[in-house]
Amino acid sequence: MKTIKIFSLVTILLLSTVCQAQEISVPLRFDHYYTYEQVTEALQALNRTYPEFTKIEEVGKSEEGRIIWALTINNPATGKELSKPGVYVDGNIHGNEIQAGEVCLYLANRLLAKYSENKDIKEIVDRNVFYIIPVVNVDGRYHFFNDPNTPSSNRSIRIPVDDDRDGLFDEDFPEDLNGDGSITQMRIRDTLGKLKTDPEDPRLMIAVEPGETGEWTLLGAEGIDNDGDGRVNEDAEGYVDGNRNWGYNWAPSYVQQGSGYYPFQGTGIKAIAEWMIARPNIIMVFAFHNSGGMFLRGPSIKTQGELHPGDIQVYDYLGKNAEKIVPGYRYLISWKDLYTTYGDFTSFCDNILGSYSFVGELFQVETETYDGTLFRKSEEQSLFGSSNDQDRERLKYNDHVTQGELYHEWKPYNHPVYGEIEIGGWSKMSSRLPHSFMLQDLVHRNASAVIFAAQQTPDVSLEVFENKKIDKDLYRIRVRLYNKGAMASMLYSSVNNKLYPKDKLSISCKSGSVISGGKLTDAFNNVAEYKKHKPEIQFCQVPGFSKVEYQFLVSGKGKAVINYESRKAGSKSVEVDLK
Amino acid sequence: MKIHSKQINHTPMVMVLILLLFFPGFSPVSALNETRDYSRPDEVNKRIMQIKQQGGQAVKIHKLTSSPGGSDLLMLEIGSETGSESRKNPAILVAGNMDGTRPITTEAALYLAEKVISDRSSYTDLTWFILPMGNPDAHSRFFENIIYVDSRNFAPHNDDMDEFTDEDPYNDLDGNGVISKMRVKSPEGTWIPVSGDPRLMRKAEYKDGEKGIYKIYDEGIDDDGDGEYNEDGKGGTNVNANFPHLFEPFKAQSGPYPGSTPEVYAILKFAFEHPEIAMSFSFGSTNFLLTPPRGGRQGSVDMDKISIPEEMAKMMGFDHTRTYTMQEIMEKVQPMLPAGMEVDESMIASFLGLGAVVNPMQEDLVFYNSISEEYKKYLEEKAGKSERMDPASAKDGSFELWSYYHLGVPVFSMDLWGVPKKEEEKKESSGITVESLEKMNSDGFIALGEEKISQFLKESGAPAEFSADRVIAMVKGGQVTPSQMAGMMKQMPKPAGDAKKGDPGEQALLAFSDEVLGGAGFIDWKPYSHPDLGEVEIGGFKPYSDINPPAEMMDSLLDLHVPFVFELVKKMPELMISEVKTEERGAGIYALDIWVENKGFLPFCTQMGKRNKIPAPAIITLDGDGLEFLSGKKRTPIQELDGKKAVKQTWLIRADKNTTLNIKLDSKTAGHDSKQIKLGE
Repeated sequence: MKTIKIFSLVTILLLSTVCQAQEISVPLRFDHYYTYEQVTEALQALNRTYPEFTKIEEVGKSEEGRIIWALTINNPATGKELSKPGVYVDGNIHGNEIQAGEVCLYLANRLLAKYSENKDIKEIVDRNVFYIIPVVNVDGRYHFFNDPNTPSSNRSIRIPVDDDRDGLFDEDFPEDLNGDGSITQMRIRDTLGKLKTDPEDPRLMIAVEPGETGEWTLLGAEGIDNDGDGRVNEDAEGYVDGNRNWGYNWAPSYVQQGSGYYPFQGTGIKAIAEWMIARPNIIMVFAFHNSGGMFLRGPSIKTQGELHPGDIQVYDYLGKNAEKIVPGYRYLISWKDLYTTYGDFTSFCDNILGSYSFVGELFQVETETYDGTLFRKSEEQSLFGSSNDQDRERLKYNDHVTQGELYHEWKPYNHPVYGEIEIGGWSKMSSRLPHSFMLQDLVHRNASAVIFAAQQTPDVSLEVFENKKIDKDLYRIRVRLYNKGAMASMLYSSVNNKLYPKDKLSISCKSGSVISGGKLTDAFNNVAEYKKHKPEIQFCQVPGFSKVEYQFLVSGKGKAVINYESRKAGSKSVEVDLK
Repeated sequence: MKIHSKQINHTPMVMVLILLLFFPGFSPVSALNETRDYSRPDEVNKRIMQIKQQGGQAVKIHKLTSSPGGSDLLMLEIGSETGSESRKNPAILVAGNMDGTRPITTEAALYLAEKVISDRSSYTDLTWFILPMGNPDAHSRFFENIIYVDSRNFAPHNDDMDEFTDEDPYNDLDGNGVISKMRVKSPEGTWIPVSGDPRLMRKAEYKDGEKGIYKIYDEGIDDDGDGEYNEDGKGGTNVNANFPHLFEPFKAQSGPYPGSTPEVYAILKFAFEHPEIAMSFSFGSTNFLLTPPRGGRQGSVDMDKISIPEEMAKMMGFDHTRTYTMQEIMEKVQPMLPAGMEVDESMIASFLGLGAVVNPMQEDLVFYNSISEEYKKYLEEKAGKSERMDPASAKDGSFELWSYYHLGVPVFSMDLWGVPKKEEEKKESSGITVESLEKMNSDGFIALGEEKISQFLKESGAPAEFSADRVIAMVKGGQVTPSQMAGMMKQMPKPAGDAKKGDPGEQALLAFSDEVLGGAGFIDWKPYSHPDLGEVEIGGFKPYSDINPPAEMMDSLLDLHVPFVFELVKKMPELMISEVKTEERGAGIYALDIWVENKGFLPFCTQMGKRNKIPAPAIITLDGDGLEFLSGKKRTPIQELDGKKAVKQTWLIRADKNTTLNIKLDSKTAGHDSKQIKLGE
């Protein structure tokens, strides 16, 4: 009897801990990574806790039928969604770059949980609307958690492509031969090999000196030749890169691998584009990726030319602050400082949606040091080989700070083709993802970079600074639009490209007519650029941290109403008495 | 189109006579019978349904999408595999009237579909995907009460970036059912009437001391009072400018991004879901059969002269001060890659940011030119010699360019009709054309003599420094061949002609209107009192008169041109196993040689297809009991095989004597073949 009681007690305790671990509650925790299903639950939990401020929507479905969720945060008391500047944040467009999803969740959690107690947060939530899509590549996130992977595999959206041009699609994936959950490296003992054991850390290999006897040959990633073509792992999922499939400056896959057959071939990518187009108020975009520690702005190809100086000013202001908010991260220009990309997401946002857009490359592997200081390897080594110094440091970090969680020791394996080999190396949760103890810091600082930007969305006030009677029933009305935010009310590039009509400033007077109207370029000397036709309607842009002034001559009496309407900066209205 | 037929009916016999003179292929029977009109969008779709009924099981209709104006885009599938899951036959993708401004091209696609279903043999081994009306919204404008030419669909677009959308269209001020031009005397005028024929207008020549008199507007008023005329009419995106190759963002008609309009997205999706598409054809505004796709665009990187940016060069051990060939770069990069990773052109091109191909590949122009010659000969045999104005060049973002550059298949096109050249223009000709020059050898060219060559150079607008004697000397000295010269000339802008006579196209069109249409192609200038501009004159060419022939000519033109499509499909690549050889090497080991041949004229696949790696490879599969591969694999892809060429594949295999070896060759776009042999026989 007693034993049964104890047993059931244990069972209940066990069950409750299991339930606790599964149940996602608000405030959200950031000491672990969320699976795709848990991200969905987290969004639902936020929505349950803050029903008035939040809405969750199905944006669309992925290739494999998973739902792409969006969370909208809006305070209805301060206006409808489309009447406020939109701040859009997404992540995980590459399936393996999962911590980007946590940044999104953290941001949502912070905005909602701190609204009532933090005045900075209240201010940006009241003034903006936030659109958050934590996981763009939902299939990718699912497969990253559920399948064996390397830290860099499984980026693709799930459109089969015949990568090796043999008439078969996605037929030769890597295999987790030793069943440790990761795809690591295979090496074989080989006296003619070009590598030998690193005397400083036997897990590493270094190049042999000329004339020296070799010890090892690397055989590549763990796997077999599934299709019998003599090549191993040469045609895994895709490859269609979600971040090369957008409709601005798209180029086919022979120009750039992974672009897909045509723009918006990805069903989820297309759905997100349409969802965003239906929200023309979006003026700020952050797309989180890993890794490297960067905030990237456009242009993404050289031939596009540099951005408009007015837009660069905005990017510089945001980017240089973001660099400080997240220590070690660098504010860079995409094509120049990283590489050329065609059809990437943020170029689409910048050029076609008219939104200031950053890519946030999360995590710096240089932070994985034994003593906690930043370890900057020399830049030249970054592209075609790994730096052993850094690997030695990272292994110490693995051994003593993560108790060996990030590295799989080399272990013998009998391979069907290669025979006796060894398998080992960095686990899938290493190299591009922070260990969970560092996750809290990463999500907070990067969410803070978004919050800083949200404080800088256009904040335009409308004021009549002169109402002067110049003759009987003839009034000169001077109007000032002042933008407190760093971002212009409309991108300079959008103005130049005629992407959509500029902000509208109009004056109407029931018992009167507008004789003239135009931009006041010098109020002291009364210099104005008059608009010949329809002077009562002016089209304008209000630059960041700046004012623009307009002047109208109105003949009439009674009240005149002045309206400012902006797609991205909301609307304002004032009345003046003509007297 | 009602207006044409009514006015032409006044003088039916005269017209028929003239047509006979101008177009020997024109059949008087069809002209005298009741004339068939062009089909409205709903009639087009009704005819598609009829074709389905007549074709029965061989025909399936794919509803691709609906246009923003609400018309369905119906794609006919005709083939022996219609409705079945397995696809063995190659397919041809045919699009009609993507520009939406040429109803005759929709008729051509329907005519083709009718011909196909009437002859079973035309679809036994080939699937036809025919989209007769790719731009239904624009197509419908031809049939409206007030007609004007506009390729845009009915998606709303705020062209002038003001507070309204589609608020300032053309206006039919004189109530004649067409939008023509307004000319108005203005101090700022830049136009004057042509002295020989004051119906035509030309720009005043400053260098001759002329001052312009008129301003020219499209017919209409300033509906929204913003000082602009007709600047925001109904319409959004030109379907045939919305495809991804050389798509131009931020242009008035192109749409915000490639594939943004549902008509185009549906075609992109359909085409890439059907890798069996081996050829594409457009009935539209271009004519790649008369004028092969043009090159000469800036932007293509020369793959033999690639320079590498300093930073990258330093990192990878290249010299940034010199150039490299693609091959050199690939050889140097390969050893830097991790084991198992193979370098290819795309990888390098994308890493160095070399960009897209924008000019037709030289090798592809060979078949284009050859087929063009054949088409011209075909026309001459059927209809006699006739000269017409040049067809339009393919537009950036068009279906035609996308087919070639992105699908990687050969694309051909027909515009079915062009305004006949004016008689006198032909007389001036030196008798040499760029095409004839291309085929000349150096001796033949020199034999033409200085006078003729000089005349030819003048006609083609060659720069002054290329005088006849200099060019002759260059050819004699071997610095240039006639065909190289022809290549250069194809890239030069066309000569302007005598500017004082007005635009050559307009002159020809006016002559056609006067002589063939009984004047119906031109509306004489008539005074009109305009609310904003005051006294103006309204007149000018009737819309469509330069791009779409009168309905009376439709049947004869279709009969003449469309059957050539059946000649084209005969040229499609067709792969076969032409020979198999085995040689016993002892110990049950055999050397196996298999020759695969492309019986067709067209390459498997185009040079562009090789570059973009879109067309699917053909696969040789070997099967046999206990077969062991010592060299070579069970499955062997063949990526390319030019027309009328064979390629040898070799294996070293081991199997028992008398083992039956099954050899299969499968291609999605170029057929299937198999052979069985017994080893050691």
